[in-house]
Amino acid sequence: MSQGVIANTEPRPPAGLSGVLLLLTGLLGLAALASLLWGAGDVGASRALAVLFGVGDEEARFVVETLRLPRTLIGIAVGLALGVSGALLQAVSRNPLAEPGLLGVSAGAAFAVAVALWLGASAATLRVAVAQVGALVGCLSVMSVVRLRGLGDDPVRLVLAGAAFSALLASLTSLLLLFDQRTADEIRFWVVGSLAGRRLDDLMAVLPSLALALVVTGLIARPLAALALGERVASGLGHRPGRVRALVVLAVALLVGAATAIAGPIAFVGLVVPFAARSLAGPDIRRTLWLCLPLGPLMVLSADVVSRLVVAPSELSLGVLTALVGAPVLVAVVRARRLPVL
Amino acid sequence: MSPMSETVPMLRRGDAVPRPAPVPPPPGCWRLARGEWHLLIERRALAVGLSLLALLLAASLAYLCLGQQWLSPAGAWVALHGEGDVMAAFVVQELRLPRLLAAWLTGAAFALAGCLMQALARNRLATPGIIGIDNGATAFAVASVVGLGASLAPPAMALAGAATAAAVTFGVASGGDTRGYRFIVAGIGIGAVFGAVTQVLLARVDIDTANAAYPWTVGTLNARPGGAVTILALGLAVGWPLALGLARSLSLMRFSDAVARGLGVGLRRRRAQVLALSVLLTALAVAVAGPVGMVALIGPEIARSLASPRGVPLTASALAGALVMVLADLTGRLLLAPIELPVGIVTAVVGGPWLLWILMRPAKRKSP
Repeated sequence: MSQGVIANTEPRPPAGLSGVLLLLTGLLGLAALASLLWGAGDVGASRALAVLFGVGDEEARFVVETLRLPRTLIGIAVGLALGVSGALLQAVSRNPLAEPGLLGVSAGAAFAVAVALWLGASAATLRVAVAQVGALVGCLSVMSVVRLRGLGDDPVRLVLAGAAFSALLASLTSLLLLFDQRTADEIRFWVVGSLAGRRLDDLMAVLPSLALALVVTGLIARPLAALALGERVASGLGHRPGRVRALVVLAVALLVGAATAIAGPIAFVGLVVPFAARSLAGPDIRRTLWLCLPLGPLMVLSADVVSRLVVAPSELSLGVLTALVGAPVLVAVVRARRLPVL
Repeated sequence: MSPMSETVPMLRRGDAVPRPAPVPPPPGCWRLARGEWHLLIERRALAVGLSLLALLLAASLAYLCLGQQWLSPAGAWVALHGEGDVMAAFVVQELRLPRLLAAWLTGAAFALAGCLMQALARNRLATPGIIGIDNGATAFAVASVVGLGASLAPPAMALAGAATAAAVTFGVASGGDTRGYRFIVAGIGIGAVFGAVTQVLLARVDIDTANAAYPWTVGTLNARPGGAVTILALGLAVGWPLALGLARSLSLMRFSDAVARGLGVGLRRRRAQVLALSVLLTALAVAVAGPVGMVALIGPEIARSLASPRGVPLTASALAGALVMVLADLTGRLLLAPIELPVGIVTAVVGGPWLLWILMRPAKRKSP
C-alpha cells in the first residue's frame, strides 16, 4: 500500500486521470487544428487544409504558416502559463477566487510594461523581463496582504484587495498615458489582450522562462499537496512551507509575466481553468495541475478562434472573450452555497 | 409573596402614574427633549461636521481665488456678486463657481455612496468604483464618444452604463440568500467585462477619437454637462436624507447578521435599499465627472478616522468627500498649469498610496 503511494512519483500522471487527460489532449489538438484552419481573413478552411497537406496556394501558405501557426503556438503557451499559474496561486493562498488577473498580478506586469514603454523600451526580450519583474512585485504584494491580514480565510476580501490594487495600477497607467502620446498609442492595442499579430520571436523570448517555471512547478507539486493538509503536516513530512511559498511566487511571476508580455493582460483564464480542472480531478493539487496543462491552452485557443469568427472580417479581442466566459464562472463559484475552501 | 411584587409596587385604579426618572444621556452626547420627542446629539459628530464644513468653505474660497488669474479673497467675494472687474467677475461666476459646485456635489455623492456600500459590505475597500459601477459607466460613455450608440450624449450614456452594470450585477447576484459579498464579487466580474469592452473600443478607433474619450476613462470636472449637474443636485437632495434615515440600521448592520436581525433590522430589504441608494448616487456623480472612484474610498476613510466609532459617519463622509474633491481639482488645476491634470488622476495619485497602506497594514481593529 505505502509502496504504491511512494512509487507514484511526479512525472507520471496520477492513476485514473490518463483517460481524461487523453481526451482533453485530443480536444486541444482539435482546437489547434481549428485555429490553423479558420481566421478572420478570406483564407477559408479548405484552402488552409490544402496547405497542411502541402498543396496550398501562395497566399494561403503565407497566412497559415506565418500568421496562424505562430498564433496557435503562442496561444498554447499563454494558456499553459495562465492555467498553471492560477492553479498554483489558488493552492498556495487556499482560495478558490485567487486568479492572477483578479489579484493584480497581471496588472502589475502590465503596469511594468507600460513604464518600460514610456521609458522608451521596445525590444521583446526586455519586455518579458520587465513584465516578469512587475508580476513578481504584484504577486509579492498580494501574498503579503494574504499573510499580513490573514485573508486566506476570506476569499472575497482577497478579491476586493486585488480589485483595489488593479484599480490603483490602472489609474497610474492612465497617468503615464497623459504625459506621453506615443506610449498611449502603443499601449492601447497591447492592453486589450490579444494574440493577433504576435510573431514567433516573441514566443522564443519567453520559452526559457516558461520551461523554468514548469520545472519549478513540477518540483513543488508534491510539497504543495502536503501543504494543503496544513502547515504542520507539511513540516512533519519534511517540507519547508516558507520555501515552497517562495517558489510558488517565483513560478507564478515567471508564468504570468511571460504570458502578459506576449498577449497583454488576459483575465479569468487562471480562474476558469483550475475551476474546471478541480471539478474533474478533485482536490489534489497534483491532479489539478496535470489537467491544467491541456485545459489552459484549450480555453485560450477556443476563445481565440471564436474571437476571430464572431465579428469577421475584423476581430474581437481575446481579453473580452475570456472575461465573458470567466465572469459567469466567478459568479458561479461565489453562488455555491458554501465557498469551497482549498 | 414573590420577590417580584416587592420591587414593583402594584398600581391601583386612580393612582398617578409615576414618571420614569429621565435617563441620563450617554457620555459625549447632548439630549434635546421636547415632550415625547428626544433627540440625541453626539458632540463629537457635531464638532467633526462643523470643522469639516469650515475646512470645505475655506478650500472653496481658495478654489475661487486661485488659478490662471489670481484674486484676493476680497476680490473674489466682490466678483462673486458680479461687481468690480468684469473679467474677474466672468472668471469667478462663469468658470470657477459652477465647477466648484460640481466638485462639491460629485465629491459628496461619491463619498456618501462609498460610505453606504462600505458599511453594507463591512469592508472599507468595497466602494461602488471598485465593484465595477464606474467601469460600466466608462464603457458606455466611451462607446458614445467613439460613435457606437451615438444617439445619446456621453453623460446620459454614463448614467445608463452605471445603471446597467448595477442591474446586471443585481440580477446575477440575487437569489440564494442575502449575503452581501455575492454582490461584490459579481460586481468585480461584471466590472472586468466592462473594462475589457472599454479597452476594445479604445483600440478600434484612431488616436484622436481615443484621446477624445480619455476624460471619460479617468474622470475630470473640466467638461461637466449642465443638465447632469442639476440632476445630481436633485438626487443628492433626495438621497442624503434617505441615507440619514438608513443610518440607524446601518450602524446595526455592522454587527453579524444574526445580531442585526435580533435587533430588528430587516436585513434583506435594508440591504437592497442601501445598495440601490449607493448605486444611484454613484451613477449620477459619474455622469457629471466620470469615474473618480477613489473619492469614495478617501472621503469615508477621513470621516471614520475623525468621527466616533459609534455610528456610520454618513454626513461627515459626504463633507470630507466634497473637501477632497475641491482640493484635488484645485491641485490639478494649479500643479502643472497651464496643463490641467484631470481630477481623477490627482485623487488616484494621492489615494493610491493610501490604499496600499490600508491593504498592507496589519489588521488591528475590525473594519466597519
